Amino acid sequence: MVSYLIRRMALAVVTLVMITGIVYGLARAMPGTPLTIAIGETDPSRKLNPADIERMKKAYGLDKPWYTAYFVWVGNVARGDLGRSISRKQPVARLIGERIGPTLALSGSALLLTWVLSIPLGLYASARSGAVDERAVSFGLYVLYSFPTFVAALFLQIIFAVWLRDTAWELPLFGMRGDGITVESSWLARTTDMARHAILPVICQSYVSLAWYSRFIHANMQEVVRQDYIRTAKAKGAGPWRVLVHHGFRNTLIPLVTLLGLSLPALLGGSVIIEQIFTWPGMGRLFFESIRERDYPTIMGLTFMFSVLTLAGQLVADMLYAWVDPRVSVE
Amino acid sequence: MLLLVLTGCGDDPDALEEMTPESALGSQNAAPLERLLEPFDPPPLEELSQGATWIDRPVLDAVVSLREEQAAEPQLATPEEALALINDSVEANAKILSALGRVADEGQADLSASVNRHIPADVGSTNPILISSTAEFDVLGLTGFGLFSFDRRMEPFALADAVVSWQTSADGLLDKVVLRDDLVWSDGEPITAHDVSFTFQVIMDPRVPVPAVRSGTDQLKWVHAYDDQTLVFFHKQPFATNVWNINFPVLPKHVYEATWEDDPTLKDSSAHVKLEQQPVSGGPYEIVERTRGQQIVLRRRESWHTVNGEQVRDQPFFEEIRFRIIEDPNTSLLALKAGEIDEMILLPEQWTTQTVGDDFYERNTKATSLEWVSFHFGWNVSTPYFSDRRVRRAMSYAFDHERMLEKLCYGLYEPATGVFHKTSWMATRKKLEPYRQDLDAAENLLDEAGWIDHDNDGIRDKEINGRFVPFEFSILTSNQPLRVAICTLLQESLDRIGVRVNVRPVESTVLQQFTLEHKFEAYFGGWGTGTDPDTSENIWRTGAGRNFVNYSNPEVDQLYDEGRRELDRAKRAEKYSRIQEILYDDQPYTWLYWRNSFYGFSKDVRGYVFSPRGPYNYSPGFSSLWKPVQQ
Amino acid sequence: MSSDQTAPMTRSSSPSEAKGFWSEAWRRFRGRKLSMAALGFVLFLVLVATFAPAIAGTKPVVCKYKGTIYFPCLSYFDRSLEPVIFAKDRFRGTYPANLAEKDPESWAIWPLVFQDPYRSVRDNEWPGEPANPARDQGKPSRRNLFGTDQYGVDVFAKMVHGTTVALLVGFVSMGLAGTIGITVGATAGYFGGWVDMLASRLIEVVMCIPTLVLILALVAFVDQPSIWKTMAIIGLTGWTGIARLARAEFLRLRSSEFVMAARAAGAGPLRIMLRHILPNALAPVLVPITFGIASAILIESSLSFLGFGPPPPSVSWGSLLNDARSNLQMWWLVVFPGVAIFLTVLSYNLVGEGLQEATDPRLREARK
Repeated sequence: MVSYLIRRMALAVVTLVMITGIVYGLARAMPGTPLTIAIGETDPSRKLNPADIERMKKAYGLDKPWYTAYFVWVGNVARGDLGRSISRKQPVARLIGERIGPTLALSGSALLLTWVLSIPLGLYASARSGAVDERAVSFGLYVLYSFPTFVAALFLQIIFAVWLRDTAWELPLFGMRGDGITVESSWLARTTDMARHAILPVICQSYVSLAWYSRFIHANMQEVVRQDYIRTAKAKGAGPWRVLVHHGFRNTLIPLVTLLGLSLPALLGGSVIIEQIFTWPGMGRLFFESIRERDYPTIMGLTFMFSVLTLAGQLVADMLYAWVDPRVSVE
Repeated sequence: MLLLVLTGCGDDPDALEEMTPESALGSQNAAPLERLLEPFDPPPLEELSQGATWIDRPVLDAVVSLREEQAAEPQLATPEEALALINDSVEANAKILSALGRVADEGQADLSASVNRHIPADVGSTNPILISSTAEFDVLGLTGFGLFSFDRRMEPFALADAVVSWQTSADGLLDKVVLRDDLVWSDGEPITAHDVSFTFQVIMDPRVPVPAVRSGTDQLKWVHAYDDQTLVFFHKQPFATNVWNINFPVLPKHVYEATWEDDPTLKDSSAHVKLEQQPVSGGPYEIVERTRGQQIVLRRRESWHTVNGEQVRDQPFFEEIRFRIIEDPNTSLLALKAGEIDEMILLPEQWTTQTVGDDFYERNTKATSLEWVSFHFGWNVSTPYFSDRRVRRAMSYAFDHERMLEKLCYGLYEPATGVFHKTSWMATRKKLEPYRQDLDAAENLLDEAGWIDHDNDGIRDKEINGRFVPFEFSILTSNQPLRVAICTLLQESLDRIGVRVNVRPVESTVLQQFTLEHKFEAYFGGWGTGTDPDTSENIWRTGAGRNFVNYSNPEVDQLYDEGRRELDRAKRAEKYSRIQEILYDDQPYTWLYWRNSFYGFSKDVRGYVFSPRGPYNYSPGFSSLWKPVQQ
Repeated sequence: MSSDQTAPMTRSSSPSEAKGFWSEAWRRFRGRKLSMAALGFVLFLVLVATFAPAIAGTKPVVCKYKGTIYFPCLSYFDRSLEPVIFAKDRFRGTYPANLAEKDPESWAIWPLVFQDPYRSVRDNEWPGEPANPARDQGKPSRRNLFGTDQYGVDVFAKMVHGTTVALLVGFVSMGLAGTIGITVGATAGYFGGWVDMLASRLIEVVMCIPTLVLILALVAFVDQPSIWKTMAIIGLTGWTGIARLARAEFLRLRSSEFVMAARAAGAGPLRIMLRHILPNALAPVLVPITFGIASAILIESSLSFLGFGPPPPSVSWGSLLNDARSNLQMWWLVVFPGVAIFLTVLSYNLVGEGLQEATDPRLREARK
């Protein structure tokens, strides 16, 4: 096991170098530099001078070829320095650090909600497969799935922030923190306030996956339910729920573990659209903006972080396979 | 791996300082590449005063001047009447602006009021010489310090809040300014002339990446502070545009003189990072809270208006200004309707369809005014398609201008006829007719220019260097729906006369880069206005930085040179009029429309006055807004 | 567990002949009413997509002009199919008036609805009919069945012509993703060892490269980025989840008894993977694929939201929804595309469900 882990870590380093190299090359190859937006926004009263633009490029080291800059970046990362954002004039680590909390709060809650709701829903659908109530529930889930998030977000905003204004059910329109809450407010007040701000974005982020996960569990259970050992269990007189949960569900764990491994990077991914609509300071929006601004240090910092998480997620999933199903060995 | 991530992601600026500021993809601390400033030994002050005749220049309090101007204007309605109006006509709009856009008289404004403003994106930097976006100017306009500004007619003046006197020498080569002695930075240090001359040195250092600010100061020979209050600007030439070059933001010398040489990019060293979070401000407001991506809160600082216990300046009207960052336009409109923000820019569709009902008028009203921002199709003159003027004119004739103005722009804009708006002093007095769609004229011009369908495939072509080149080109645009719709209309219009267009919506960064590098055949873009017509030289002079379409006309270049030197306003106007006429003849752009600015305001707010650069990009700008004392 | 292919069939006339896997599956599929209805809907959409120019358009389906028969409506499929004569005669895209004027002997068969998906019809373009209403005045009416958008373009025409995109985006992206994913995952899971190591690294690299960067790079570098190229990129980067799921299944099943039996019988790895393991491994993989086909439409509308929708003058249901975003009071911009998307998503998923049941090897025995 230990040697397996060490081998995986070593491979992970190689993979990380490849990933970051490719992403950096792509980002540099795209037209535009971190200066382009600032140049474009320059007040019309100020004349643009091509010579000055060249000078600025040199000041930021952008005239060097991309592989030189890339190696310097790798060296810095090895020493723990993710660099300074060019467009935001702050250390990348601080930018990311500011956004980790809010993103986790949002995606973590959404993921939790999805898992908590979809497992019972999926099992319920398997138990009552084909019956009218199951069809109705599945129908409802498909409606939810096809509802585009930005339309849903707008509807929810109108309902909870406008129509229900000044009632007990009111929810904030945007942002993460209310006006009255400062660093001096009590921990309870701050948490409740953030929770209230998070409700609408979390709903928008989780309802889509609900149908997906329930259907996934349902589909896997369908396959399991037809196995011989299920028939045996039923024949031995086990109740329907025990059959389903105790005998059946455990055999769908492998695909679920895979899904868990795939969800880990999504935890810190965030949704660009939801973060934009609700002005939630998350990673998705940071990533999108840093690409638009061609802010190479931030792009690389974020890619690095996502990649580490993804690799960790796959490693965890691989190790869990062996634990969940004794027939599987991961060398 | 995880360990590295943890230490890397740690928030420990001091540890990070051990890394040199040259963390890759970032800055470079090279030796000075070149000198942009010739060394200059300023003569002593008495010598200067002896020889020269000094002409006094205006030193004004922007709010007071505006009040005086408005006193002479008739008031078309009372505030109560205006608040009850629905803004659906030009008359209603005029009444609203006339009644609600008045500067407060003594005692009318609630000095303890706070206001919630809207910005669509966070500020990238709080250093006034590094900024470029409108959001940044909105914030730093209130916290920054400067000596000069301009009014809504783009007439420059010195700010009475900062300056005692301003004089220009008769030969046009010197500007002398005497600062007030009661100016204080937010950290308590006095603001002196040395701060201005220091900032000049920093800006002119080639290692500091500030090309925008430098584009005016590089026309200055030198800036010298003779003592704490006396400042002299030395110009290279006696141009009419000199007055704009002396207008640049000011950094606190006592803060930056220790740090800027170590890190000329002004953003990498930990000292500079700390300054970004807690800047020293010289303006009437200071930043008291900044939550990235959410809001910025400014508070009026006492040391601006009260020095040594005595009130030396008028208090700005608001005690607290909160900038809420809302990126999504739907959300911000909902916020305006709910009263969570007090002002915002409205998109044309929002103006036309979503701000007409009771849900909007319950708390808000809206106003619009012409802005000197025009949009155009730019034709790359060095391509075989658009090198011929007849072809460019044909494009202008082929486009369905009426449909664009009526359907796509909701009838809100007026057509543009060239670089200067007809209400500006430099516009031509000749009547320039806006283009209307005339497909016959377009087809005839194309036939004349040699673009005929030789191979009978429905697309025009022309023989160039022995081959038949089909008239098919791509037009670049940023991916906003209205712009894409306008380019699609161009595609449809040209399709009717045998020209194929590919519309390429791209990211604005890509559009910017491609146009800078002249890598396009046609593009859709717009320009705002500078304060002086000379700034448009950057678009039309041969080889200039914003001359994306590669236009070149020696007569135009000559006229710009003459216009700069000519000090008489009427004669200057002639030169720029001629430039406008020549350009309109040549059609390197197909000018499309002048855009209005549309704003929604809370009913509590008063004092908004529009200029051709919008309600805030001039003096007094936002400083004229106030909230009345609650009865 | 015997899932071998030679289970006796009781229904065929010749008891010794075994029906093929797929015709068996089709027969079972036919029995599920809901899935058949869903399939029928998909076929209906295919018909709409094929005959779109005949359903809604401003060009005649077929016309006779100056003695020759032309099919101008085909230009909706490809710009170059526009008959040149109409350009020569300065028709300028307006057919009804010009046909009558320039050749009194001409006749034309018109589409069912005279509207154009790319532009608003002009005043009197169809004699006697006014121009389309714009801004928010375009409620669904007799002339505009689904209303018009803020620029006056008819929504019904847009939806009809957008059907091709709606149908095919899913297949393009998921076809690619499914094929690559199952292949890579199966290989990795079945062979293990260094094959697995290499394949897993490949999966990880592709997983970590942000799709957004690739799409932006495509838009910047390619002169004519189409929705298909964007969807191809989504497919080429979206196969990793499917690969991981397939790999897990193949890992699990490679040590099953039936596999050992097949190996003992001398079957080669390809045969084992395809005929023995794959049918058993389909269940978890089918869900992401069928959902993926359906969600491609929604991905396309998110891309429009972020500004990277299909370049003009193409139309799609997703960009219709995006238009609706800033104009929610125009409910017809949300309802009609929304319902269409929902029905399509539903149909694909019902077909997927039916497919899963129909191909489940264990069910074959159940019909004894």
